[in-house]
Amino acid sequence: MGLLNIVLVCSAGMSTSMLVEKMRKAAKEEHVEATIQATSEADLGRFLDQADVILIGPQVRYLASKIESQAGPYGIKVAVIDPVYYGLMDGAKVFEQARELLK
Amino acid sequence: MGRFFGFFEEKFLPVAGRFGSQRHLVAIRDGFAGILPLIIIGSLAVLINNLPIQPFQDFMEHVFSEHWKNLGGYIWNGTFAIISLLVCFSVSYNLARHYKVDALAAGLVSVAALIILTPLVADGQGISLNWMSASGLFVSLIVGLLATEIFRKLSQMNLVIKMPEGVPEAVSRSFASMIPAMIVLAIFGILQILFIDVIGTSVQDIIYKSIQAPFQHMAASLPGILAIEFTKSFLWFFGLHGSNILEPVIESVYLPSMQENIQLFNQGVSAYQVPHIITKPFIDVFVAMGGIGTGLSLIIAIFIVGRSRQVRSIGKLGGPAALFNINEPIIFGIPVVLNPILFVPFLLVPLVNVTIAYCATSLGLVPRTVVMVPWTTPPIIGGYLATGGSLAGSILQLVNLAVGTFIYLPFLRMLDKQMLKNAPVEKMSSLKTIDQKDTTL
Repeated sequence: MGLLNIVLVCSAGMSTSMLVEKMRKAAKEEHVEATIQATSEADLGRFLDQADVILIGPQVRYLASKIESQAGPYGIKVAVIDPVYYGLMDGAKVFEQARELLK
Repeated sequence: MGRFFGFFEEKFLPVAGRFGSQRHLVAIRDGFAGILPLIIIGSLAVLINNLPIQPFQDFMEHVFSEHWKNLGGYIWNGTFAIISLLVCFSVSYNLARHYKVDALAAGLVSVAALIILTPLVADGQGISLNWMSASGLFVSLIVGLLATEIFRKLSQMNLVIKMPEGVPEAVSRSFASMIPAMIVLAIFGILQILFIDVIGTSVQDIIYKSIQAPFQHMAASLPGILAIEFTKSFLWFFGLHGSNILEPVIESVYLPSMQENIQLFNQGVSAYQVPHIITKPFIDVFVAMGGIGTGLSLIIAIFIVGRSRQVRSIGKLGGPAALFNINEPIIFGIPVVLNPILFVPFLLVPLVNVTIAYCATSLGLVPRTVVMVPWTTPPIIGGYLATGGSLAGSILQLVNLAVGTFIYLPFLRMLDKQMLKNAPVEKMSSLKTIDQKDTTL
């Protein structure tokens, strides 16, 4: 598998951007080449043609079905981030969650 | 208590979720998000013009002559003064994008429809700026949604003008939105005949008096804002982004008050004398310090009494972000979500802080909010800026932080003790284990 492209979504893309830093570190440690970005729900459209996985912040999990219908046609996997790992800002675990989705 | 939470999880949350993902409300929320940079720029221009620092004012006047303030005034005209126009386009654009129809065309048609409905002034030489400002906000939201709905229905019916063969595709595409746009504008034109020529008043006037003003009045009252804050925290307690879900409502009812405050402040009225106490910056600055539930107070409480490794590490993890009013790490980390011990203070602290700030402001101890600061502005700075450069604003923030911390302390001590007791087998508690603990309480 080539470059892995992960997009994290929350209301304003603020709190997910904290997690992005940690996930990038985790990817580096595992020697996986990955592009990881955070965005607001309103701006998600711009990422649809490049993303492999979209991970949704648990606080906006009610948007999951809307985002799934947006991302479905592009063949993008969508999941809600585990709230525990989200709270702990556990980049490695969330990165693992993203990779599991693509298996 | 477990059953109580279960009940809400099952019955109430799906409703909140549907509300939060309803397409028109999402379009309104994204529409406001789109124009936010312009609103903040317009508001900062006013702040700089009216910064209460005499040496600065003298310096500017000396260097650039007394005309220097015109710059801010002109920027105001292009931003806050035409906010309804901006919102109309932005909301329509977002809704059309959701339907995957031509968003630019829909936005332009909606702006045209709004202008059709707006009364002309000075013998047809100008459009009423009053209705372009936040006073016309409800109408512009309705027009933005309605025009877009009609436009997309017609577009999806494929009412296109058939071009003879040999006409380049780009040309025939440029005519694709022609018929839908024509019908939309004709409908709004007829409406305008009804309002102006038959009824004899503008739709803006009717909607403002019958809907917008009463709503604003209700939201501006202490019980109104307490109800909104309670709902927000309550949703967050279940791990739902309450602020995001209520955003369309909050922006629509509080933005007009804020605009009025800023405008009067710009005209030289003192920040103590502008009309509205409760605005969005009022909440952002005096209540949501460190995020929802006055998260910064919670973090301070953690560092005062927290001894368990879990609590302290979350405090350290969430601290820096909380300085910018982002507190998801705390909400999901400790977690606050579904945590029966933190239920009371998490809901109570914001309500107490609203009440303190409301009293302090109405007693004239602290100026009212006259600057739209970004919600990520750190506390102390935020209070100073939002009140038009008053230290009293920062002091009120400190008072609220202290009161919040004081309320959180006993509950946090309880939580901390429980965590210490569980420490030997300490795995980070998940939502599930909290639920189990809950039933033993």
